[in-house]
Amino acid sequence: MQLFASRAHGSMDGLDDNARFRRIVMPHIDEAYRLAHWLTGNRADAEDVVQDASLRAFRAIQAFAGGSARAWLLSIVRNTAYTWLRKNRSNTVVTVEDLEAVEVAQAEPSDSHGETPETALIAKLDAEQLSAAIAALPAPFRETLVLRDIEGLDYREIAEATEVPIGTVMSRLARARRRLIATIRKNG
Amino acid sequence: MNRSNSDDRSVLLVNAYLDGELDPANALGIAQQMAEEPALAAEAERIKALQQLIHERLPRQGAPGGLRGRIEEAVGGSRRRRAGPSWRALAASIAVTAMVTSSSTWLVVGSRQPTMIADTLVSDHIRSLMAPEPVDVVSSDRHTVKPWFNGRIANSPRVVDLAKEDFPLVGGRVDVVGRTPVSTLVYRRAKHLISLTAVPAESRFALDRNPRNIDGYNVLQWIDHGVSYWAISDIAPKELEEFAQLFRTSQTEL
Repeated sequence: MQLFASRAHGSMDGLDDNARFRRIVMPHIDEAYRLAHWLTGNRADAEDVVQDASLRAFRAIQAFAGGSARAWLLSIVRNTAYTWLRKNRSNTVVTVEDLEAVEVAQAEPSDSHGETPETALIAKLDAEQLSAAIAALPAPFRETLVLRDIEGLDYREIAEATEVPIGTVMSRLARARRRLIATIRKNG
Repeated sequence: MNRSNSDDRSVLLVNAYLDGELDPANALGIAQQMAEEPALAAEAERIKALQQLIHERLPRQGAPGGLRGRIEEAVGGSRRRRAGPSWRALAASIAVTAMVTSSSTWLVVGSRQPTMIADTLVSDHIRSLMAPEPVDVVSSDRHTVKPWFNGRIANSPRVVDLAKEDFPLVGGRVDVVGRTPVSTLVYRRAKHLISLTAVPAESRFALDRNPRNIDGYNVLQWIDHGVSYWAISDIAPKELEEFAQLFRTSQTEL
């Protein structure tokens, strides 16, 4: 009797896999697509990644242990996107192992202590320039910034989605914003 | 310019403050600091301007039309390909029976009957062997596996690196004991997998025979720091004990 009882508790809400999928995954397809777009850089690839990620989510739907469904789906999208990039564009991808090296190795732009805020300059940028500046961020910084400043996830969700501790989310976000501001200032 | 660690910390706090992620005490502290330090206040202004700009210039676009339909089609197709009654359907009906017959939480049930936990975990192990992947997160890197559990279960498990001892890490998955999601690490010895499940708070009872053989799988249970560990594999009991010994004494922890 015990053989199937354990994982089946996911079904205790009386829903089958398809119903769970509709409830957990389908509401977040827009976010999934936007993240995939920011990670792959184009629409067709983003659609493929989201479709693949959705299938993976469906197969793992019983393993969803509650919490933020959005963060759970986005972590699958993210992993799918990086797998896809490694396979198709191995030269452009930053692997997990490289992440910490990136953070240490790349010098931070000057934070211009003491200068007046250049908010007017920042505000001049158009959508295309802004997109390009975000796209130019290294992947760990870009995904963190996108999840926070575009998708509006809280730090805890970002930590779940990107599979790093909250402290790392905080430092990546601060660095991402600082880099972005520096790029904008250079182009402005 | 060399910035001190406390400056770095302040910058992180300014970001977290603007994101509404600070508790009142920290928020008050950083607000005062910004009032006293123009550079910090300027940083905050730049971040706010950036957020405003992103908000105005980059409206969030929805997924292209048709994507949802294709996903539902793909998922439906993947379901139809499963021949016969799926184990999930079977599982659901059995689970209902199990729920009806057990009115208490798993902790009570579990602590009274450690063999029931063993049975459940052996079933999880067997099922994982039949699944396309025995794990939900595939990685030999304990630094990847441990954070994966964050948010999925209450406590991240202890993860150690035993590759040098010929027990490489394969990955991890979430199993469910009763109603509680628990972490299971999967290690490998040659072609055999070892599922190692950490059950918190299940520390008062132990198996009467240890290791115990259940349906051809050896189950070894031990307790460390209030966590009950259950190792399940078809490797020999001696090897399983060697694995347990190495896991318990390993220093290569996160």
